[in-house]
Amino acid sequence: MDSDIEMEMESDNDGEFDDDYDYYNTGEDCDVERLDPKRADPEYFEYECLTVEDIEKLLNELVEKLNTILQITPSLAKVLLLEHQWNNAAVVEKYRQDANALLVSARIKPPTTAVETASTSAAAAAQLRLSSSSGYRTSSSASTSSLTTAASGNPQQQQQSQPQRRMCPVCASTQPNDKFYSLACGHSFCKDCWTIYFETQIFQGISIQIGCMAQQCNVRVPEDLVLTLVTRPVMRDKYQQFAFKDYVKSHPQLRFCPGPNCQIIVQSSEICAKRAICKVCHTGFCFKCGMDYHAPTDCQIIRKWLTKCADDSETANYISAHTKDCPKCHICIEKNGGCNHMQCFNCKHDFCWMCLGDWKTHGSEYYECSRYKDNPNIANESVHVQAREALKKYLHYYERWENHSKSLKLEQQTIDRLRQRINTKVMNGSGTWIDWQYLFNAAALLAKCRYTLQYTYPYAYYMEPGSRKNLFEYQQAQLEAEIENLSWKIERAETTDRAVLENQMDIAEKRRTTLLKDFFPVIVKT
Amino acid sequence: MTAPRRLRKELVDLQESSLKSFRDIKADDDNLLRWTGLIVPDNPPYNKGAFRIEINFPAEYPFKPPKISFKTKIYHPNIDEKGQVCLPIISTENWKPATRTDQVVQALIALINDPEPEHPLRAELAEEFLKDKKKFVKNAEDYTRKHSEKRPAD
Repeated sequence: MDSDIEMEMESDNDGEFDDDYDYYNTGEDCDVERLDPKRADPEYFEYECLTVEDIEKLLNELVEKLNTILQITPSLAKVLLLEHQWNNAAVVEKYRQDANALLVSARIKPPTTAVETASTSAAAAAQLRLSSSSGYRTSSSASTSSLTTAASGNPQQQQQSQPQRRMCPVCASTQPNDKFYSLACGHSFCKDCWTIYFETQIFQGISIQIGCMAQQCNVRVPEDLVLTLVTRPVMRDKYQQFAFKDYVKSHPQLRFCPGPNCQIIVQSSEICAKRAICKVCHTGFCFKCGMDYHAPTDCQIIRKWLTKCADDSETANYISAHTKDCPKCHICIEKNGGCNHMQCFNCKHDFCWMCLGDWKTHGSEYYECSRYKDNPNIANESVHVQAREALKKYLHYYERWENHSKSLKLEQQTIDRLRQRINTKVMNGSGTWIDWQYLFNAAALLAKCRYTLQYTYPYAYYMEPGSRKNLFEYQQAQLEAEIENLSWKIERAETTDRAVLENQMDIAEKRRTTLLKDFFPVIVKT
Repeated sequence: MTAPRRLRKELVDLQESSLKSFRDIKADDDNLLRWTGLIVPDNPPYNKGAFRIEINFPAEYPFKPPKISFKTKIYHPNIDEKGQVCLPIISTENWKPATRTDQVVQALIALINDPEPEHPLRAELAEEFLKDKKKFVKNAEDYTRKHSEKRPAD
């Protein structure tokens, strides 16, 4: 019901908005703008709500497409796509340019053996086909030997004819050769150790990132080997769930719906901070960051603002002193000891605690941060004066933010009250139920405007002083005034003044779109 | 259980290899998961003493990493007052089941010999190390003389 109303209104507005646009802009491209809702409505957003099955199908299609082009196993294709944001063309191009480098960068082959064995792309490609066609699922001795032969040119230990025994470096037990498995790097361990290792890793939430067990070896364990060796259904399910999550997260156009227990995945080709509404649980969220929709404020600022608001002063102080957000996935990390080389538990991003830069930029040395050394502890002077001023400014914006947030929470009550009032009116013979429906539209519009207004405060809080801020706050004040007018008129509506109310709705919505149009950054990345 | 067989082998190998800088390696009589040993550093200011460490292996070893702590007090930017040490090779996310204890100990000895003040556990010592090396060396030598164990004769 809600969404119906909103859709109706939006289509209404589009038409009216175009008139408005023509009036103020007699520019040369106005014909285009008039036809294109992407330009006319700053909040216009195309997306699709898909189920897990839809996504599996979609990803599988991508995998199959790559399989047919490159003749590789699905397991391998998945890894390559994952590493390239599911960009099929990019994988194919890199593969054609230098298959070997591609496999090394995707951690399928070790860097050194690559140099030794494969001098040309073609050779690497041939090897790849060999290794992938043999797979891991075949009888263990055959698969290990062909794999090791293919990838590392290291067949001497793998003579199948002699049932030799050797020791596994992990469990230190001696077992027949056919119990051993190895990846392209040639590090060979017994089946039982691999299995326990996989289960330990899966238990920690690691799936497609599981690496070889050898020290300093970064080669990735392919999905089919994990699924061949791990037989407990619980662990297999876990592995597949985690892997699926990683696949979705690595796909730039996909987002998990943040609604509680919601399985929907939203897809959009436009990756920006616009509102997506889940068709199943009706959760609305910002497509870019997954938080509550927050136009006109952008993702970083709303994050900053919400953290600021969520904590009372003591915890805020503690958090700023002891925690930082992962620069990649923004999960909050508490440093409870140890060194400055941090690895995010959530996304495995390696970064420096001091400067929050990528750890890779810190060179091969284990621990140094020169970036922080250049500028430690800026702005420590007259802290108290600054803090008091800052608090005053913050409270100004916070009170307004909080006020609108509370008003919005009372929205359901407003609607209930409205319904009661309409019932009474209808009973008393003033108009029919249908005559009063427009009031619900008005209430929905009021909520929509208030929502935007609420999110203008964090935006203003972080704005640099200047003419642009003045303009923003002017428009904000206009919007606020019209919203209060609308609210007042809804409370006192009669059938006779429907035109007045609809006029007010139009004014409020126009103020809202004007503000968004001027200040809502629409950055389209494709 | 993988741990006992692997640990027994590693212990024997380590004892037989008779490293100069890591000696006196023993497992507890009743607990193979707890080892002690003596670190004998080569570089000043720690080359005037020896340091007792404890290695605790989890029951899931080698699928989970061991923990190392110092039993002898040491004046070192990377080792705190409780004897905890931050060693990347045995952090949960870097741990590899094929990593042997002798590799872990080598990494530890390298860290003792060459402190890494850029990732200190004791910031004040790191600062002293960087800003006033002479003072740091003197303090560390005094501290070593006072607290550390005797170095083996040979």
